[in-house]
Amino acid sequence: MKRPRSTKRLRLGLLVGTTSALLAAGTAGILCAQSRYGNYAPAALGQLDQAVPQALREDSTFSVSAFPLYPSELAAGEGQQETNIFCGQCHSTRYITTQPPLSSAAWEAVVSKMRKTYGAGIPESAAQKIVQYLKIHYSPK
Amino acid sequence: MSRRSALRLLGAAGASFGFSATLRSATTPPQESTMPPALPGSTGPGPNPYWNSVGMYVNEPQKAPLLLLTDRPVQLETPRHYFATAFTPNDAFYVRWHLDGIPNAIDLKNWRLRIDGNVTKALSFSLPDLMRKFPAQTVAAVNQCSGNSRSRFQPRVPGGQWGNGAMGNAKWTGVRLSTLLSAAGMKSGSLQVQFQGLDTGMGPEGYGSKAFLKSLAVTNPVLEDCLIAYAMNGEPLPLLNGFPVRLVVPGYFATYWMKCLTWIRVLDKQDENFWVKTAYRIPDTPRGATTPKEVKAGTVKTVPIHRMPVRSFLISPDGGSKIPAGMDVILRGIAFSGYGRVNELEVSDNDGKTWLPAQLGEDFGAYSFRTWEFRWTAKKPGRYFISVRATDKTGNIQPDEPVWNPGGYLWNRIERQEITVGVAE
Repeated sequence: MKRPRSTKRLRLGLLVGTTSALLAAGTAGILCAQSRYGNYAPAALGQLDQAVPQALREDSTFSVSAFPLYPSELAAGEGQQETNIFCGQCHSTRYITTQPPLSSAAWEAVVSKMRKTYGAGIPESAAQKIVQYLKIHYSPK
Repeated sequence: MSRRSALRLLGAAGASFGFSATLRSATTPPQESTMPPALPGSTGPGPNPYWNSVGMYVNEPQKAPLLLLTDRPVQLETPRHYFATAFTPNDAFYVRWHLDGIPNAIDLKNWRLRIDGNVTKALSFSLPDLMRKFPAQTVAAVNQCSGNSRSRFQPRVPGGQWGNGAMGNAKWTGVRLSTLLSAAGMKSGSLQVQFQGLDTGMGPEGYGSKAFLKSLAVTNPVLEDCLIAYAMNGEPLPLLNGFPVRLVVPGYFATYWMKCLTWIRVLDKQDENFWVKTAYRIPDTPRGATTPKEVKAGTVKTVPIHRMPVRSFLISPDGGSKIPAGMDVILRGIAFSGYGRVNELEVSDNDGKTWLPAQLGEDFGAYSFRTWEFRWTAKKPGRYFISVRATDKTGNIQPDEPVWNPGGYLWNRIERQEITVGVAE
């Protein structure tokens, strides 16, 4: 088992991931030329972005601001860091906190689906820790 | 307070809050009312008791404040009150993406809609090509997520825990898909038409986590109804709803309505990709119903999800406040079906024992929301259960039995709303 990465590394992971998505998109052909992808930025709750007067350019690029990321409050405990890092590769961990309490078998199936069906790069040891963590904190009491 | 919500509070407010709460509990019992409310997050293991999902309001680009399911990729639910009218405003229209590489910017100088594969002539179209070279068609059609109302399921199933607001109705304007397919010329041996948008994910090549692809059989009559829409309620689509063009498949669940549609491929073999072969499938049974036991036994045969079963909703009053006895109130709501227009809507104020017809609103087409209203007077104070049920042209009527399948799809049970009538004198 490698040492768990720090939160700082996680953010870096997110950046690298976004960049690699861009590169992968580029290999798909004309994508890079026509789009920008997966730009997210931390945001504060309750903040209302009005359509501020701004100088929009009359060029052919139609863009929106970064999609806001809100803090996701995973329960503290053994396995939280692995859950943050590995589950957070593809999606925010809010996918976990918004679920109803799921049985141990259901969580095992979810993690297995992420690895086998979606090809998520989660080492076996980390996967076990994640399943254990989800069972303890996100299953019916 | 459950341990889970306590943990959530600690996580949200930090250790100092937890510390002071601990101190206080040593002297006096904590007062629930003095504590900050738990952050909204989840419901269960029972069904979600609310009309909508329980997320917080957030502000995404080009959107009014909507209810957050997830922020990466973006999934947002439309609050109940927006369904008081037949058409859902673009900025309030729900959002559901599968992969986190959602485009933030599209350069229309370079963007083209491409048709290739098993065709006589591969073609590409700029947005002005689509707007000017072909006759514009408009259709009013409901776009509903396959998992709308998933949070009603018992036992609960994993997935986006939508309330009832993963749906919307709009006037979609664009080009007929069949016109473009004819222009490209589908060759013999064509089996499916595959659609892909600009979104992309982090997963490895060849996996569903890399690309979101959906297909429809070339023999499916719905292809004739499909539009490639560049306008939504007469305006450009919000990027989160699929700018510059999205596929419109009237009567079908939204999984087929590809956002930021960019590639159309005619296939001469069956589409074996994850999103067709494995995901968005329903049991091949009446109502798509099965049981956890059958799923475990592996005996469930599945088919791709397709048309939306008939549904109806009471939108107002929402039960949040009392109504004085003897006062007339207008019950209002919407109904729709993927099997043809709703031509009957009934209301019951005694939990489904007896039903009375409601007045249907303007007919905007077979696949649109249809509004309804019903003048109701509760003479006596008390608690009333208002139920509404719709019947469509095909004769489908909403059932009062729940449905269950592992995907959390096809919920269309009769909706109930508790209304309290108070003493007026």
